[in-house]
Amino acid sequence: MNDDQNAMKKRVQRLVFIAAGGKINEEELGRWDVDLRTIGLDSLGYLNLLEGLERTFGVAIDLDHEEDHSFLHTIDNIVRYLVVQRGAAA
Amino acid sequence: MIREAMAECLDRHHSRTAVAGAEALSYEELGSRIHAAAGLFRDAQHVGFCLGNRPEYVILYFATLFAGRLPLLLDANFNTGEIEAIRSDCGLDALVMERSKAEALDIPDRGEPVPFGDAVVLPLARVEPRFSPRPDTEVCRFTSGTTGRPKCLEFSGHAVVSAARNWVLGTGMAPEDRTLCLAALSNGLAFNTSLLSTFVAGGELHFLKGAPLTRPVARRIEESGITRLVAFPTLYRNFVAPGGPERSAMAGLKHAISAGAPLWPDVREEFRSKYGLDISDYYGIAETGPVTFERDAGYHAGLGQPLPGAEIRIAEDDGEAGEVLVRTASMASGYLNHPGLFEGRVDAQGFYHSGDRGRLIDGRLHLVGRTQDHINVAGRKIDPTEVVAVVLALDGVADAVAFPDEDLNREALVHLVVVASNGGVTKASVAEACRSRLAPWKVPGRISFVQEIPRTGIGKPRIAVLREQLTTKGSVE
Repeated sequence: MNDDQNAMKKRVQRLVFIAAGGKINEEELGRWDVDLRTIGLDSLGYLNLLEGLERTFGVAIDLDHEEDHSFLHTIDNIVRYLVVQRGAAA
Repeated sequence: MIREAMAECLDRHHSRTAVAGAEALSYEELGSRIHAAAGLFRDAQHVGFCLGNRPEYVILYFATLFAGRLPLLLDANFNTGEIEAIRSDCGLDALVMERSKAEALDIPDRGEPVPFGDAVVLPLARVEPRFSPRPDTEVCRFTSGTTGRPKCLEFSGHAVVSAARNWVLGTGMAPEDRTLCLAALSNGLAFNTSLLSTFVAGGELHFLKGAPLTRPVARRIEESGITRLVAFPTLYRNFVAPGGPERSAMAGLKHAISAGAPLWPDVREEFRSKYGLDISDYYGIAETGPVTFERDAGYHAGLGQPLPGAEIRIAEDDGEAGEVLVRTASMASGYLNHPGLFEGRVDAQGFYHSGDRGRLIDGRLHLVGRTQDHINVAGRKIDPTEVVAVVLALDGVADAVAFPDEDLNREALVHLVVVASNGGVTKASVAEACRSRLAPWKVPGRISFVQEIPRTGIGKPRIAVLREQLTTKGSVE
């Protein structure tokens, strides 16, 4: 993973913290492969996170064609998704 | 009675559009689909709906009623344990759910799922339920109960039809209205403001596939000419946040309705300023149906006036505010699996004791708090004693208390405060115990530790003192 993606991870980590209203502590968010649902990101938090990702990274996250949403369950997966989306948009 | 009311709607508005999702259905086409699907429920008396909003939900819900069966509208997020509890208490002979969820559902004595659009009907072997519904019950909905046992509210056909007709009458719903419903149809807000009421008015009911983000919601409002938005406070806050949709996208919107949790006054003000539209902060109670609506666009305070068929009384307790008592034509008949509980909350005049404290000013309801200890998280009421009971069962926990609090986004959460008797108890172990034993929305959003919980002489926790203590001294780890 390059420096750009590490920086993205830190930005996503911050977005998750904000989206969760501070309910998830920074230590737990340091594990980038942990399932965010298991550490307390609830459905409203997810909604806030998706809004934050769209506005921060300028991507459109359309979930209506995806049955499996696991690509958004960890910070690692979110960053991979963002890299692909931004690559596709470029 | 719901079947007759819906049949009349299908007949009267036959060529108009009724439902719009991935495809649009006219009232005539909707009627044909309902009649064709009714055969799916030949062998099922009680049909559980565990499905997100989509046209299939509408078709299968009315198909259940047209087949003379009883629909039970479950929260789509109920887990297997909660579904099993409902099956044991109320009886479930079939489940309507997403295909992927049906495949993953670990439940015994299940049959082969029957596909219906992107949903399935999953037959279940008959389990004799502990309780039998009243003869006039036509729909059941649920409130989150304690110990993983959702409470089943029974509604007569008269109550459901009255709720729909009074909502149409009280809010001026018209055939030109196109309602985008983002709240779950199993929730009283969506059920009463969108499902039957849209069809009674001859309007269109729209659904959004995918997550209700502001961008696709605004696009849908603009492209489909949506006139009514039924949503929840968080969505409205995201609309007014920097980067939210422009005013032009919302130009056709006539009513923005919010419920499920209190709407923040600044969000209401910013929405009005940005979009030139007031958010109607609807007040309804699961047990009574819709209660208020603000019809005067120029009136910006409170939760509106009583709807037709709804009466409000304030039980005087301190001369200014008291418990809100409500009587409506859309009241539930009772809790199927908790006999006597509902009846105990209704007085001799038929008024339901809501547990909310408020006052009437200029005929408008203003809420000031709760008389009961329940914690309202995103529209779901949580009994703090259930959370505390889970934690007190852990080794090394000497005392605990749970109370309502807010996160940094001002969303309500359960704040759990623990007194540990040994060092083996940590925030992580308490959180893990809660996650494994409680429904997701009951898991505390904040956990703190203190040396001692301040209590009154009779042992009641002094929450205000505890809050102050946590603010000044913080949590002890």
